[in-house]
Amino acid sequence: MTWGDALPWLVALPWTGAVLTRALGARGPRMAGGLAWAFLIATAALAVGPVTEVARHGAFSYAVGGWAAPYGVELRFDHFSAWVLPLTLLFVLVVPFSFRYLEGTLPLERQAPFYALLLLNAGAMIGFTISADLFNLFVFMEVVSLSSYALVAIAGRGLAAWAALKYLLIGGVASTLMLLGVTFVFVLTGSLNLADVSARFAAGVDAAPAATAIALLATSFLVKAALFPLHVWLPDAHAIAPSPVSAVLSGMVVKIGVVGLIRLYQLAYGSSAFEMAGLNTLLVWAGAIAIVTGAFLAMVQNDIKLMLAYSTISNVGYIVMGLALASPYAAIGGVVHVFNHALIKVTLFLAAGALIHHTGFRTLTDLRGVARAMPYTSAAMAIGAISIVGLPPTAGFVCKWYIALGAFQAGQAGFGLALVFGALLIFVYYVRLLNALYFKPAVHAAVRDASEVPWSMRAPMLLAALACLVMGVLGGVPLSFVEPAVLDMLPAWGP
Amino acid sequence: MDVVDARPILAPLVSFVCAALVFSAGHRAAWRRFWSFAAAAIKLGLVVSMLPGTLRGTVYVYELVEFTPGIGIAFRADAFGMFFALVSSTLWVLTTVYAIGYMRGDRDLVRFFGFFALCVSTTVGVAFAENLLTFFLFYEALTICTYPLVVHAETPEALRAGRIYLVYTLIGGGLALIGSVMTLNAAGTLTLAGTGVLSREMGGGTLAAIFVALVGGFGVKAAIMPLHGWLPIAMVAPTPVSALLHAVAVVKVGAFGVTRVIHNVFGVELLRELGYARPLAWLAGFTIVAASLIALRQDHLKRRLAYSTISQLSYIVLGAALLAPFAATAAVVHIAHQAFAKITMFFVAGAIQRRSGATHVSQLSGIGSVMPWSMAGFTVASLSFIGVPLFAGFITKWYLSLGALDAGAWWVVGVMIVSSLLNAAYWLPIVHRAYFRPLSDELEGVQEAPPMLLVPILICAAYVILLGLSGEVPGMPFSIARVAVEHAFGLPSVTP
Repeated sequence: MTWGDALPWLVALPWTGAVLTRALGARGPRMAGGLAWAFLIATAALAVGPVTEVARHGAFSYAVGGWAAPYGVELRFDHFSAWVLPLTLLFVLVVPFSFRYLEGTLPLERQAPFYALLLLNAGAMIGFTISADLFNLFVFMEVVSLSSYALVAIAGRGLAAWAALKYLLIGGVASTLMLLGVTFVFVLTGSLNLADVSARFAAGVDAAPAATAIALLATSFLVKAALFPLHVWLPDAHAIAPSPVSAVLSGMVVKIGVVGLIRLYQLAYGSSAFEMAGLNTLLVWAGAIAIVTGAFLAMVQNDIKLMLAYSTISNVGYIVMGLALASPYAAIGGVVHVFNHALIKVTLFLAAGALIHHTGFRTLTDLRGVARAMPYTSAAMAIGAISIVGLPPTAGFVCKWYIALGAFQAGQAGFGLALVFGALLIFVYYVRLLNALYFKPAVHAAVRDASEVPWSMRAPMLLAALACLVMGVLGGVPLSFVEPAVLDMLPAWGP
Repeated sequence: MDVVDARPILAPLVSFVCAALVFSAGHRAAWRRFWSFAAAAIKLGLVVSMLPGTLRGTVYVYELVEFTPGIGIAFRADAFGMFFALVSSTLWVLTTVYAIGYMRGDRDLVRFFGFFALCVSTTVGVAFAENLLTFFLFYEALTICTYPLVVHAETPEALRAGRIYLVYTLIGGGLALIGSVMTLNAAGTLTLAGTGVLSREMGGGTLAAIFVALVGGFGVKAAIMPLHGWLPIAMVAPTPVSALLHAVAVVKVGAFGVTRVIHNVFGVELLRELGYARPLAWLAGFTIVAASLIALRQDHLKRRLAYSTISQLSYIVLGAALLAPFAATAAVVHIAHQAFAKITMFFVAGAIQRRSGATHVSQLSGIGSVMPWSMAGFTVASLSFIGVPLFAGFITKWYLSLGALDAGAWWVVGVMIVSSLLNAAYWLPIVHRAYFRPLSDELEGVQEAPPMLLVPILICAAYVILLGLSGEVPGMPFSIARVAVEHAFGLPSVTP
């Protein structure tokens, strides 16, 4: 029995939980929520083993059904998986937050499906991070997407349905593109296993169809990642969904696209025959434009959830730019931010959800002065805001530091400047948020007399906020996972 | 000699813990006071306990975490850092006393004292930063922690001041970040322990960009003209905040940063070859005179103090930029001289405002007869700024001029003389008005400041005189400054 044997359980456990939650959830939402939480905690506990194993001995695989790669289905746990797997563990914070949040927001009969969908989503996301072949990547991406559409629609009012439909249509197109890209790769190389395809690309394939395949896959992942201007589905979906779902969508689901993109880089970068420079040039500009545009769009919002949604677009820009700068430090910065951004966004959306849930208001003007009534929630919001702007010593700073360093390392100082001052631009807006919460008198009696949220909501967001601060000073721990992952991806740079 | 010791990290940590206690359980005034006092005293004790070692040439180091080899969060209490930490922690004790007296009955005191402690924590963090990354972390944290203090009154005016403050300092922070990143990229290290990490081979363009980014970035907080716009506006903050942060902590962090860049990032040798420091010296000389001219026209007392601060800060920058040992000594030691004299004045201005409501110079006729002790303190500080011998400010001017002559910069002596005259022109009329004009009707019945305010004023004023008299006494700031400068210039040590 090796840790490889545990890999399928990382997916099977939450999915079993999903089925059980749905089946037993009829006994009441508390039962459903508790069950979902228990299964997520069990998954998290199980994940500790593989993560330590990777840290000690490096990547390892599991051959599904005993059929060895490249013909059988392979699950592979490498440094990169170990770094992004904790993304899904953030669900452990989201679920208890939902217990009380859903009361009064979601009809009773929809609460069990809600938890079941969250578990389905989490399991598929874990599957996505540990799949070693393209077809399974596609399958898991579809499961993540479908459960996300349903989660957006679950609030069930008019706008939610529209937002979900828009999300579904655009997501559907992206999935089709991915399937097409996978087909191209299979026709070209006769294989779907990532390592195998990578080797065959390296050995030399017909350049034009290979480039088409890469372009199809990249486009598909970038739509899922909501890179500007492929983001149009995101703001409505993220703003309208219930806040715990917004946290999941903005923090984790968007990262599916980014993780896919990184897998694509790992796949194609190994090949000397293949020239990624074209894609890099395109993406580094697209990333820079996304940073600034996302920041601008966030600046003009008054609705706090829309503002957070647009800041996700800006932050995806950081990650993509970091990868595309293709210098080791920049890529490290990008990969680090995959998790750190999720952590920050979970903090922010949970806090925003708590504010909206307890006051009934969602715009900055209405929420003025709420910090006196809800000090804990506001503190979490403030820490999240400082982190998302990338001020030290918070989780957001780590990425900014490495990407700026990487920009200079790559000889592209201009992008470093764009990054640093793009972040400052966002801060102008977040100062308005902090001012509204802390330093302005309340305009509504409901805000002034609001009570602080119960501990089941308070604890998750305070934990997340604390983690934002801790990740800012514990730079070395993530690096032990991220550095090997990046060097895998950019072998040309060497250690 | 480097010795691993936890005290360089404990010193900032004490104020941090104090802030946490104030935030979590500071709603009772007694506890809040107790923790603020206790932390201030413990911190001062920690810093002072390192002093004998520093004078012997021992450097205490402590590494907290390492990101990649050579880059991490690390602390190092060298002579220059010790000097700055000693000034800030001494003044924290005095300002805590003053603030408790001054803020009594004000709003949101938990927030006030919590962030107050955090600011001191970050300032000492800056002082003990071993590398530019650590420096930058605390530098930015200081910006965030001061914001709630600047907007404390929550009036539209305060919020506007806060916004302008953030725009200036965060853009400065962005520049400093870029400069740090470029330094790391060029030199492969960020350490501030040596006498320069950059070298000529790195190319003129890169070196010039690093110099502009780092000095420009830190220069915002040092309020070098034309980067000074935030400082007079930020005076809207409560007086103890203006006193400790805008005359001591925040602005000195900027000046400290510029000096670190000159001494420890570029190194004196390299800068002499490159000649970048000369334009900086001119700019500082210009700031000294121009800010004084503006101060002359201010009737609002705190605004006059603010412009005087801008002028005085450039003494430090000028001293460092002259690249001569005497001038550098003046720069380092002026951090203390300006701090004690300026804080005395702020304390007096605050005391007058609390007792009489007067905020403008023209309202102060005859105040010397009703608040004699406070005005005596004010007079001492004025004389120090003018540069009268036996007061602290004279030592700065003397050494700065000596250094300027060494460096062949004759014009600096002219700047010193003009600055002295201007200082006399805007401080002495206040003193004259206070003592030699009849008491105005508005000030009828005003009483001397209460002990909580008066004691810090008198201690600071006494210290200004002590600094002026005791240059050669071991353990006084001057001797520490000398150790710091000997290190930066690679001079043989003359202290035992």
